[in-house]
Amino acid sequence: MEKIMIITGSRKGIGRFLAEYYLEKGITVIGCSRSESDLQHKNYEHHCLDVADEKAVQKLVRNTAKKFGKIDYLINNAGIASMNHSFLTPLSIVEKMFKTNVFGTFLFTRECGKVMSKKKFGRIVNMTTFAVPFKLEGEAVYAASKAAITVMAEALAREYAGFGITVNTVAPPAVQTDLIAHVKKDKMDKLLQRQAIHRFGEAKDVANTIDFFLRDESTMVTGQTVYLGGV
Amino acid sequence: MNKEEALQIVIDAVKEYIDDDSTTINKETILLGNNAVVDSIGLVNLIVDIEGALSEKDLEITLTSEDAMSRRKSPFRSVETLSDYIVELAN
Ligand SMILES: NC(=O)c1ccc[n+]([C@@H]2O[C@H](COP(=O)([O-])OP(=O)(O)OC[C@H]3O[C@@H](n4cnc5c(N)ncnc54)[C@H](OP(=O)(O)O)[C@@H]3O)[C@@H](O)[C@H]2O)c1
Repeated sequence: MEKIMIITGSRKGIGRFLAEYYLEKGITVIGCSRSESDLQHKNYEHHCLDVADEKAVQKLVRNTAKKFGKIDYLINNAGIASMNHSFLTPLSIVEKMFKTNVFGTFLFTRECGKVMSKKKFGRIVNMTTFAVPFKLEGEAVYAASKAAITVMAEALAREYAGFGITVNTVAPPAVQTDLIAHVKKDKMDKLLQRQAIHRFGEAKDVANTIDFFLRDESTMVTGQTVYLGGV
Repeated sequence: MNKEEALQIVIDAVKEYIDDDSTTINKETILLGNNAVVDSIGLVNLIVDIEGALSEKDLEITLTSEDAMSRRKSPFRSVETLSDYIVELAN
């Protein structure tokens, strides 16, 4: 049967890889990000929206549900980071990070959760980061926003269990995308040394973990966080 | 959306949800509290169903607004209060 997946932040980086990866597997992917995408595929739709825009998120999720009759999978991938000492961090950046990372994840989860509850099936996967357990200096706000996502997923796992919906979280290893492009080399090297596996990972490592969460057999897997690279 | 239409949507949704012909559902039917025909998780489901039904009519409304949650008298008390609330939001 046709499977329907929503991926947020699918224009580039890990989200883009995931979109192509799941399209390849025959899944219909509804992607979104603030800007247009050049990804062309007969089973791909791209919508321009900000994940923190409640009305836009509702519209996208409801239209998807109307068009396909269901939503099987949600990947809350969209995220932004800002790496800076807190003394140098304006409140507007803090707000932006919480809006995208926390509010965006919440909105998509709530709206897709409603649709999934009707079919008594759903798989929701969020993205967190090693910056949470490592409590990285210079990433206080980013880590705090991602910690919020993790805890929210753990609580929602309980709220949604009766609806056949699981909620899990994956922390990618350090993956060379634009997100970390401006982190200095020595800082990055230090960080890699703190992972159990001292090298960059790839988006396909994230996909491998998500595959496990999505499996029909993974009905008992919920409220879990997998830290890739080993923390 | 007028009140009759809203009542119809709410009554249909409650009927479909409780799926029990022996219970009469009308505008006096209680949705919240001790005498409610649904439990709290049932009310959550019902709200989702009603939002879905409204969306079918191209009315993109969220019933769980901050305003709804903070009112001294909840708009989710009965079929009638909920219908009134829908009319208020729709117009
Ligand atoms: N790369 C890493 O090492 C790493 C490590 C740990 C966790 N992560 C997490 O993995 C996820 C993906 O990161 P990435 O490395 O792929 O980042 P990226 O390359 O910067 O891509 C971020 C994606 O999110 C979209 N996006 C950003 N803000 C948005 C908003 N407000 N609304 C809608 N879409 C938005 C971007 O598209 P637009 O610009 O078009 O909006 C883009 O497609 C993030 O949640 C990140 O925190 C990454």
